[in-house]
Amino acid sequence: MSLRTWVRTLWGLAAVLNGAALAMIFFYAPVEIQMGAVQKIFYYHVPSAIAGYVLLFLAFLFSILYLWKDDPSYDLLAYTTAEVGFVFITVVLVTGPIWGRSAWGKWWVWEPRLTSALILWLMYSAYFLLRLFSRHEARAARIAAVVAIIAFFDVPIVHKAIEWWGSIVHPKKVVLEPPMRQTFFVAMIAVFTLAAALTLTRFMVGKAEERRQAQREATP
Amino acid sequence: MNYVRVVALIFAKDFREELRRKENVISSLLFAFLSLVLFAFALDPTQVDLNRTGSGLLWLIILFAGSLFMGASFRKEMETGTLQALLLSPTDRSAIFLGKFLVNLVFLLFLEGLLLVFAYLLLDVQTGPVLVPLAVAWIAVTVGYAALGTLFSALIANVRGGQVIYPILLFPVLIPLVIAAATLTQDALAGRPVYTSQWLRLVALFDTLFVTASVFLFEYAVEE
Repeated sequence: MSLRTWVRTLWGLAAVLNGAALAMIFFYAPVEIQMGAVQKIFYYHVPSAIAGYVLLFLAFLFSILYLWKDDPSYDLLAYTTAEVGFVFITVVLVTGPIWGRSAWGKWWVWEPRLTSALILWLMYSAYFLLRLFSRHEARAARIAAVVAIIAFFDVPIVHKAIEWWGSIVHPKKVVLEPPMRQTFFVAMIAVFTLAAALTLTRFMVGKAEERRQAQREATP
Repeated sequence: MNYVRVVALIFAKDFREELRRKENVISSLLFAFLSLVLFAFALDPTQVDLNRTGSGLLWLIILFAGSLFMGASFRKEMETGTLQALLLSPTDRSAIFLGKFLVNLVFLLFLEGLLLVFAYLLLDVQTGPVLVPLAVAWIAVTVGYAALGTLFSALIANVRGGQVIYPILLFPVLIPLVIAAATLTQDALAGRPVYTSQWLRLVALFDTLFVTASVFLFEYAVEE
């Protein structure tokens, strides 16, 4: 199967799974007693956070591979995973305050996990800004790789620092009713399928851009 | 030539150059002083006790003025072709990094010392009695700051608009260091223990991790 067919299948799967997840969230999962309907954001908030972190971890691995092997494909993979990961972290930062508004009574609280996500978001904003500014620079890919590696090493330290600094915390352990757990499980797969489809599509677009660039350089 | 001598030579060259060129040193110091004066107007020291709330502000000044200085440290090398020559010379590249890093470290510590003097003179921040623990904390924080500042400065040296991106790139990564610096300074000023603080351990971890990472990654940052 070609990559294109794979991606099409993945998109179809993502559509079905996300439809199923949404249906389960609204019609199957019970309403949480304390927080009410807003708690349902949880089913997309948490999987998005996990998907975001996994993608940024992949971006870190691909950045190391790029510096090590010097293969431009790794650079494109690093860029792709970072971009899609950034989108999911953005989803976390948008859904978090909506949930927080009803759970804590404020749009934003300087809570460790949410704040860490915000700092990560800032780091990657700078990463894309750098990519934008340095796109005519021969070392652009190397520069970006170095930044991605530093940012990744910083994440645990940022998290620890924010934890000591702040006071309000996420619940350490969440107890879920079986229907909630099943819904969460489906939503998790749905979000990850969507993340994979987005990443691969973005990768194909990147490859197409490379081909176009090569053609442009080849024609006198 | 042995490694230490190469580092010392590069340090001496850069140090002399900064002193002779003056513009970089003076503009950063003036900027820091100006920020201090502006903070006095923004906060009204007759109302706010800066001994309790000033530590974070002092570190903001160090962050801004320091990045002004470090952001330029590789630019002129690129423009004059010095970096090219250094890279061509048969030395370990990490020696070039360490030389630069030491110059930046020395400048930042000098800036911090002056800032403390002026914070005392103008804003009555009483650092005299706690100078030793304060110095330990600030030196520890400055090591990590200078390491990443030097590495990122090498990264953006040739990038169009690099001066603009530099602080945007550097500050988010430094956030844990800034929190630690503000907390440690506040603790020192209040007479609370500094050496046993968990924050000092976090700073030590940060320093070890990022000095090592910078030494390794510098080579990739400058390679053409």
